[in-house]
Amino acid sequence: MNTRPKPPTNPPSANASGEPLCAPDGGPDSQVTIYDASSDLARPGRLLWRIGSDFWAGRELAWRLFIRNLRGLYRQTLLGLLWIFLPPVANTAIWVFLKSRNVFSFGGEVQTSETVYILAGMILWQSFIEAFQMPMNSISQNRNMISKLNFPRESLVLEGIADLVFNFLVRGLILLPAFLIFGVAIQPLALLSALPLAILLLVLAVGMGLILAPFGSLYQDVGRFIGMVAPFWMILTPIIYVAPTTFPGNLLNWLNPASPLLVATRDLVVTGTTGQIWPALVYGIATVPVFLLGLVVWRVSMPAVVERMPA
Amino acid sequence: MEKISPMNNDTILTVDGVWKKYCRQLKRAMWYGVRDIAGQVAMRRQPPAGRPALRKNEFFAVRDASFELRAGECVGMIGPNGAGKSTMLKIINGLIRPDAGRVEIRGKVGALIELGTGFNPVLSGRENVYVNAAVLGMGKREVDRMFDDIVEFAGLAHVIGDPIKTYSSGMKVRLGFSVAAHLRPRLLIMDEVLAVGDVAFRMKCFKHFNTLTQNGTSIILVTHAVGMLPRVATRTLVFDQGKICFDGDVQQGMTIYEENLSATEKSARPLTVEASDHLAGAASIVRVEVRDATGQACSSFQTGDPLRLAIDVHCPQKLESARLVVALCSPRHDELGSTSSVTSLQRPDLDAGTHRFELEIRQLPLLLGSYYFNISLYGADITDFQQRQSGAGVFRIVGPEVDVNGNGLYGTVSFAHAWSYNGSVAAIEKT
Repeated sequence: MNTRPKPPTNPPSANASGEPLCAPDGGPDSQVTIYDASSDLARPGRLLWRIGSDFWAGRELAWRLFIRNLRGLYRQTLLGLLWIFLPPVANTAIWVFLKSRNVFSFGGEVQTSETVYILAGMILWQSFIEAFQMPMNSISQNRNMISKLNFPRESLVLEGIADLVFNFLVRGLILLPAFLIFGVAIQPLALLSALPLAILLLVLAVGMGLILAPFGSLYQDVGRFIGMVAPFWMILTPIIYVAPTTFPGNLLNWLNPASPLLVATRDLVVTGTTGQIWPALVYGIATVPVFLLGLVVWRVSMPAVVERMPA
Repeated sequence: MEKISPMNNDTILTVDGVWKKYCRQLKRAMWYGVRDIAGQVAMRRQPPAGRPALRKNEFFAVRDASFELRAGECVGMIGPNGAGKSTMLKIINGLIRPDAGRVEIRGKVGALIELGTGFNPVLSGRENVYVNAAVLGMGKREVDRMFDDIVEFAGLAHVIGDPIKTYSSGMKVRLGFSVAAHLRPRLLIMDEVLAVGDVAFRMKCFKHFNTLTQNGTSIILVTHAVGMLPRVATRTLVFDQGKICFDGDVQQGMTIYEENLSATEKSARPLTVEASDHLAGAASIVRVEVRDATGQACSSFQTGDPLRLAIDVHCPQKLESARLVVALCSPRHDELGSTSSVTSLQRPDLDAGTHRFELEIRQLPLLLGSYYFNISLYGADITDFQQRQSGAGVFRIVGPEVDVNGNGLYGTVSFAHAWSYNGSVAAIEKT
């Protein structure tokens, strides 16, 4: 699908109140939109430009949807924002309890409070898995809108990201009292360097989710499979144990896309240092192409997805 | 279909040789979806010239559709269910891709496919106006400027601060339509939205559409309520089995639509014969013919025309006190009324052989559409059933055209009537 500007040949007409109905030259009314069967990827540069401009065009819609969902959600719940805190706190409580019963071991020395260590990992994991599932959930929740209206699809990604960032920041706030209660020193410089890694972690998860979302909306198996393997994936990620440094644990750590950035972020936040800097850097660099590929797949696949949505 | 020239100055939309295929089988459709996405990503999918190839279980929902739309035109897209109208709208709206051909649109497109898309029930009417407007592509400033007009048009100023879940369905529809109606697109696409709201609101909508078209907005209107088309449409496109079978005058298009519908209804209701299974040598109806006043076979009538129904009955042996019961039916309403031969005939005794009965309907009290007869043959007793034919003697009422002033606009039955104006009530009461 292409849009190209076309010089207008008609003078702008006027409506009953005298306001110009047609935009002046170069405005949206002078654009010609073409729909045909050709692949948008035939001109990748223009496709990326269009994705970028639709992100910009969809910003207001994304904001409206974000506010709508937030208000809608919290008007219908008694605990409101607590629902953002509760899942990682509850998970942490379970694992701390199990650790106190020696059900599992950390497999290494944790240089800080075990509770804060697990809590920070849980917050990052919760945000990662939400980011990964966000694009698929977004299609599912906005199915009616997507199948009936042509609006910038990127606005849904933007709205999902806004939602993720909001939840991430709110969750991050519970770390502060945890640091104080468990006597963990806050290291501002390390926190500052952890922030871009955390952003890269979420962007990577969104990118992977975008690639998977069209297939997930065609086959429900994908969503069910993710729901089924997510707990195992969490166990495979060094959240309740120290990142392994010996084979084959370290290989698994390298191969698990959730692991390097999550572990590096968590380590920097709670200890001020990390041994995962190289894997984190590699995955940090890979994040950019994965996210761009995700955006492209999301965009070019949407007509095929809409075509197969129930009317 | 004739190929069309490149976009002219006032051409808003050009649809050129568009084909669209769907798959009937769900699982296969999903698999084709994966392949299509992979094809798009791998840039394998090049627009084929002309008719694209069908894969297993696929069919064409739109076949080689071509038309143009100029500024200020309002086109009614009509056709039976599954004719390809909504698929065409989705392609024009950019929701799905054509499999071949090309759609070219100049300017902003507004679509009213489903009113109130994006409404959240727990938010107030005011909040939902902003959300709905954003979904339709309007900015906050634009909505700020038009907010009062939107609320006034919907007639909901007194409840605009209440959660939308407290609104009736009619109120929601009015609010949704009002937001959408204040879009200022070059092309407005509407799918079955005229069937909503009360009559007063609908009339308000018609007026609004007329204002839009006068100001250069083009409208595409998909509806099954074809009687409304003459009020707003300047042209019709009739779809049948994925093809545009007519493009032109509204009244002509409506007639063709009715004829297509009649043909569909006729094929959907084949003649069925139900014979008595306990009578050896039962009599049977062997021929049914619809004729005009001159006795010629005829299947198209005008409202008020006379119709003669000739029924031939064959008796293998003598049938005493024969009686026929004829029901006049329409595919939409089944039996509209019935008559028995005993109302104007003595019950004749029929010797072995073939006999003819004739029923004359002096003035057909029917409006545009397709009709048929159910005919039952009985013997002497009330329970002495011989045979029944359902769906016999199909005929159509093809005129007069629907009157936009309202005469014959609704329903099936035409009745003889007269209007008079008697002056002011005060003057009448004085006398």
